[in-house]
Amino acid sequence: MAALVASIYRGISYRGAEGQWAWILHRASGLGIVLFLYMHIVSIFIAAIGPGPYAWVHATLYTSPPAKVLEVFLLFGVLYHAFNGMRIIIIDFFPALGRYQRTIVRIELALVVIVLVPAAIITLRGIF
Amino acid sequence: MATSSSRPYQGKLRYGAPNHEGRIWLFMRLTGLVMFITVVFHLLYMHMAVGVENITFDNIDARWSGPAGVFWRLFDASLLFIGMAHGMNGVRFSINDYVHNKILNFLLTAAVYGLGLFLILLGTVAIVLGVGGLGNLFQRLMG
Repeated sequence: MAALVASIYRGISYRGAEGQWAWILHRASGLGIVLFLYMHIVSIFIAAIGPGPYAWVHATLYTSPPAKVLEVFLLFGVLYHAFNGMRIIIIDFFPALGRYQRTIVRIELALVVIVLVPAAIITLRGIF
Repeated sequence: MATSSSRPYQGKLRYGAPNHEGRIWLFMRLTGLVMFITVVFHLLYMHMAVGVENITFDNIDARWSGPAGVFWRLFDASLLFIGMAHGMNGVRFSINDYVHNKILNFLLTAAVYGLGLFLILLGTVAIVLGVGGLGNLFQRLMG
C-alpha cells in the first residue's frame, strides 16, 4: 500500500511527459479491461442459464444509460490499450525508433481518437 | 559496464537463451498482436455493426448455431483464453510492482489466478453448451 502511494506520488512529481503518461494509461486501461472482462464472462454464463436471466443482464449491464456511458470508457480503454500495445511492440523490436517516441505517442493518440469518435457517437446516440 | 546516455540504444540487439520472464515478455507481445486484430474486430463489430441493443438471447443463439456457429464459438473461445491469459499476467505485473510483501504478493497472485481460472471455466461452459444450454441440461437432469 505504501508502495502504491509512493508510486502515485512519484507519478505526479516525475515529469516524464508522453512516455510516462502512455505507461500510466496502459496500466489503468489494462486493469479496467480485466474488470470488464470478469463481468463480461459472468454475463455470458448467465445467458447459458436461460433467456430470462440474460434479458435482465442485457437491460441492466449493457443497454441502460449508465452502461452506455461506461461503454465509451470501455471503447477508449480497449482502443488505447490496443494502439499503445502496438507502439510498445514497435519500439521493442525497432529500438532506434525510441528517438521519435514523442511523435509516435502523438500519432498513436490521433489514431485512437479517429476510431473512438465515431464509435462513441454511435454508442451515445441512443441516450440523448 | 556503466553507460549513461540520453540516446536510445543503437547497437545490434543480442538475444541470449530466453528465461521464464523472457518467454512471458514474448507471450505478451504475441497475444497482444493477435488481439489487436481479434479484440478490436470484436469490439467494433459488436458495437458499431451489430449494435449492443441487438445482442439479445436469440441473436447470440443464431450466431452460435450451424456451421458458421462453430467458427464463432472458436473465435469467442480464442477471445476468452487469450484475453484472460494476457489479462491475468498483466494483473500479476501490477501486483509485483506494488506489493513487495512476499506472503501478500503470493496470496493476491493466487487469488487472481484462482478467480481467473474459475471464470475461464464459466466461459468455456457457456461456449460449449450455448445460450440456454446450462438451463436445458438442468431441466433434462431433473426429468
